[in-house]
Amino acid sequence: MSTGFTPRGRGGFGDRGGGRGRGGFGDRGGGRGRGGFGDRGGRGGFGDRGGRGGFGDRGGRGGFRSPDGGGFRGRGGGRGAPRGRGGGRGGFGAGKKITVEPHRHEGVFICRGKEDALVTRNMVVGESVYGEKRMSIEEGETKIEYRAWNPFRSKLAAAILGGVDQIHIKPGSKVMYLGAASGTTVSHVSDIVGPEGLVYAVEFSHRSGRDLLNVAKKRTNIIPIIEDARHPHKYRMLVGMVDVIFADVAQPDQTRIVALNAHNFLKNGGHFVISIKANCIDSTAPPEAVFASEVKKMAGENMKPQEQLTLEPYERDHAVVVGIYRAPPKDKK
Amino acid sequence: MAEQKSKPSDLYQCVYSFLAENKFTKAAQQFMKQTKVTPQDENDESLVGIYDFWVKSPEAKKRKAPSSTAESKTSPSAKKAKTSAASSSSEDSSSDDEAVVAKPTKAAPAAAKVVPAKAPAPAAAIKVASSSSEDSSDSEEEKAPAKAPVKAPVKVPAAPATGRKKDSSSSSEESEDELPAKAPAKAKSVTVTAAKPAVPAKAAAQKKKDSSSEDSSSDSEDEKPTKAPAKPAPAKPAPAKAAPVKAAAAESSSEDSSSEDEAPPSKKPKAGAYSAVPPPASVQKAPASVTKAPAAPAASKAKDSSSSSSSSSDEEEEKKVAAKPAPVKTPAAKPAAKESSSDSSSDEEAKKPAVKVTPAKAAPVKAALAKDSDSSSSEEEEEEEAKKKPAAKVTPAKAAPAKPVAAKVTPAKKDSSSEDDSSSEEEEAKKPAAKVTPAKKPAAKPAPAKTPPAKKEESSSDSSSEDEAPAKPAAKVAAKPKSAAPAAAAESSSDSSSEDEEQTKAKPAAKPATPASKPATPTAKTAAAESSSESSSEDEEPAKAKPATPAKAKPTTPAAKPAAAAESSSDSDSDSEDEAAKPAVKKPTPAAEAPASTPKASKKKTETTPAKPPVTNGKAATPKTPAKPAESSSSDSSSEEEEEASTSAVKPATPAATPKATPADKAKESSSSDSSSEEDAPRRAATAPTTPTTNGKRKKSEESSKSDEEETEVTTPKNKMATTTPQTFPKANKKSSNVPFRRIREEEVAVDPRLQDNSFDAKFGSNGDWGQKANDTLRFTKGKSFRHEKTKKKRGSYRGGAINSTSVNSIKFDSE
Repeated sequence: MSTGFTPRGRGGFGDRGGGRGRGGFGDRGGGRGRGGFGDRGGRGGFGDRGGRGGFGDRGGRGGFRSPDGGGFRGRGGGRGAPRGRGGGRGGFGAGKKITVEPHRHEGVFICRGKEDALVTRNMVVGESVYGEKRMSIEEGETKIEYRAWNPFRSKLAAAILGGVDQIHIKPGSKVMYLGAASGTTVSHVSDIVGPEGLVYAVEFSHRSGRDLLNVAKKRTNIIPIIEDARHPHKYRMLVGMVDVIFADVAQPDQTRIVALNAHNFLKNGGHFVISIKANCIDSTAPPEAVFASEVKKMAGENMKPQEQLTLEPYERDHAVVVGIYRAPPKDKK
Repeated sequence: MAEQKSKPSDLYQCVYSFLAENKFTKAAQQFMKQTKVTPQDENDESLVGIYDFWVKSPEAKKRKAPSSTAESKTSPSAKKAKTSAASSSSEDSSSDDEAVVAKPTKAAPAAAKVVPAKAPAPAAAIKVASSSSEDSSDSEEEKAPAKAPVKAPVKVPAAPATGRKKDSSSSSEESEDELPAKAPAKAKSVTVTAAKPAVPAKAAAQKKKDSSSEDSSSDSEDEKPTKAPAKPAPAKPAPAKAAPVKAAAAESSSEDSSSEDEAPPSKKPKAGAYSAVPPPASVQKAPASVTKAPAAPAASKAKDSSSSSSSSSDEEEEKKVAAKPAPVKTPAAKPAAKESSSDSSSDEEAKKPAVKVTPAKAAPVKAALAKDSDSSSSEEEEEEEAKKKPAAKVTPAKAAPAKPVAAKVTPAKKDSSSEDDSSSEEEEAKKPAAKVTPAKKPAAKPAPAKTPPAKKEESSSDSSSEDEAPAKPAAKVAAKPKSAAPAAAAESSSDSSSEDEEQTKAKPAAKPATPASKPATPTAKTAAAESSSESSSEDEEPAKAKPATPAKAKPTTPAAKPAAAAESSSDSDSDSEDEAAKPAVKKPTPAAEAPASTPKASKKKTETTPAKPPVTNGKAATPKTPAKPAESSSSDSSSEEEEEASTSAVKPATPAATPKATPADKAKESSSSDSSSEEDAPRRAATAPTTPTTNGKRKKSEESSKSDEEETEVTTPKNKMATTTPQTFPKANKKSSNVPFRRIREEEVAVDPRLQDNSFDAKFGSNGDWGQKANDTLRFTKGKSFRHEKTKKKRGSYRGGAINSTSVNSIKFDSE
């Protein structure tokens, strides 16, 4: 493993996570919520949707709810604009008919209704992770709940909507997620892999890592790791071999980071999905050049790029690269 | 004064030993005859040692100023003394007239040498007048007379001259004595520990006495004439000395030594030599060979140069020279040179010393004149005058001498150019140039003249008179090589020795190597004549700046080259010159160098006036021819060579001159400054005009090269190239190391054509995509607004329509 890692971006992941992780709010709210676990809950009282102060709620709400059904952890509850919209009951088509059809990517679904939406089957029924909308469909007697997956919030979702050929994440897969941040996308990945799969969520920022932990509390298939992804040896005891590495670390040396983890945990013939933010590599160079450069680096790390896709319009100057690690003579596909 | 006086005599032993050591047997004998010196103790300090010390001494630098002051002082005194001559008045016209008159008279006396005599006399008178011009015509006249007198004792011509001028009236010996005293007074000579100082001092003394420079010049002139006519060792020596003194103290001394009786006087000149050494040498030679007449002119010129302080005087002198002098001087100068050569050839043995001396003197004188003119006014005027003179005088015989002078002048110019430093240098340089021109008359360009002489001397070096004359003029030092000739040889040898010493000390080393005749000549011109100047220049160079050194080095070498060229006839000369040239000259190579040098000289002159170059050429050619006839076959060859040498030499000379000039300036030491300084000055002036310091030299060289291009394109180009390239290269090479840090170098990354556009629109299947609407909104936003828009989308309010789950829009890499 790489011993000589410079903690240059100590907050590296953290940063990213921070940005992403509403952790800040979460904290606050969390703190409050926690503090007043029972008490306060009131505030978010209304249950899922209620909480205006999304974050604060989160904790509170979680607390509030958890007693009840446990499953509902609407983290985003508040934050989400949906509140008004989605209304309590099913925003998407609440009353209307909605149909959910599987996406070509296994574990991913498309909710067709008045408006199409990318959804995943909610692993923890009745609870939103970040305030996303949920929709439940009754098939016979069983009630299945789906969570909306907003591509503007998740690069993986953006990649899927963008039309990536393979995400290599499917039910039962063991996934290492680098740059998990608050766990929003991780929760969807968790939904995809299902109870049989595993998600090693690595995040370096404690602040966003707290949210991640909260998510992980409800989702048993998520193993949160608050460590620097540059030092895989620090969490090597927690991680087994994985089928896929998803990386969204937005660090200048992200390719190297991915390679380090791949060398440690990715099985031969495993795949990697890397989201590249051009401005994090070199903000002065054209994005296309940056992507090309990163692709070239990957090739030097036994990581064979297979496809590249822009994340426009969901993300600016982003691209996702999917490839295979130590591809066997015969492609596995 | 007293101190200085003591020095000249004290140095006799050194000089003698030096001569003896350097195998200048005849010169040594003559020197001993005149000085009655006792062989020097082996343990005593050698002349070379003294020179070295002087060169290294901090005072060397200071000498320039003193010299200038001394000159100025002398000039005033001269004026007073010459009040009678005053009628010559400050203006040239009057002076010219007087000069002309004087010339005729002198010429008559000189009769023996006829042309030379006349030429010298007039020239001297004219020159003197012109030189004094500022101080004026009076001083000039007086000087001229004084010189004449000095010489007169020895020779008839001299007598007339002396008669005219009070100071000059004083016998050459007296003048000499005085000169020594004066020399000390001048400080430069005094300060100069080495023999050179003494010489300058003498020169200065002469000048001071009769109007200092004038006197000296007059003396030299007189001496020259005397020598020419009778070849009397004493008389000649005296003149020779005077000339040397004015031109170059060292040279003069050497010349004197070489000259029989004159040895002492010559030594005195040597003392002055620093300032005027080079000129004297040439003067001496010129007088000797050519006739007193040349010497006289030279003297007059020298005086002028000495008077250089007065710019007007120079101009006047020049004018006079150009107009009246031109004819007279040219004859005189040329005669001196040619005659000297011719004489030398004929008389070589007996007269050679004397003759040679005279020629040499003439050259010096001219140099001095040139210097004067330079100092007084712009070089251009001098050049013009010189040209005029050359044109008028153009006479073959004279031409040769003139060339020598010119050559000397050029050296002087070189020095001046190299030094550039002081205006005085420039002036001096100009003066030399002017003088040279006079000497060359035809050539107009001093440099050429000098070089020719030097070359001649060297080439003929052998041949004696011519060689001696040229050699002396060219490089007073060069005269040394000639040593072959008795007096002249001795003088020349002495000069050479002095020169050698000087050379040896600094750049001279190279020249010294050549020691023999050739080296001597080259060195003499640059080094010897300038010996003082060189020494000073050397000192200056080191002290002052690189430019000076380069210039000097180049100059010397050029001179050497010219000498070599001139020597072409004589191998030894050429060899020595080459050697000297090589060492001295950095850029120029023997042949090439010579041309280059000539170009420079011509350039210098040309610079002032375009016409000059041609003139110089013509002059040079003419002079040579005359010289040849007069001198005989040897003379011819020598003259031709001289011409070539002169041209080539001129260029070299100029370089050398510039170097010297600096020394002179530094040394300034008063009168000595005149001779050496004058030479230097010319050189400097030459260089200075074009461009001060080396650059100036280079430019000059370039210019000269241009002008000379016809003659020698190669040399000039080289010079130019050398000059320019060095300067440019350093400047142009810099690259900004300020390159912003870049992880990704766009130019180094090959982007797949399919991936060249990362935009949504470029994506396959973008049309009708669920994200198209978002793209329409976000595409035009940036920064904060983008963030705002995207935030709204995150809330889930976005409605994108239908989602196509089956399309694959990614771009696949080749592998799979």
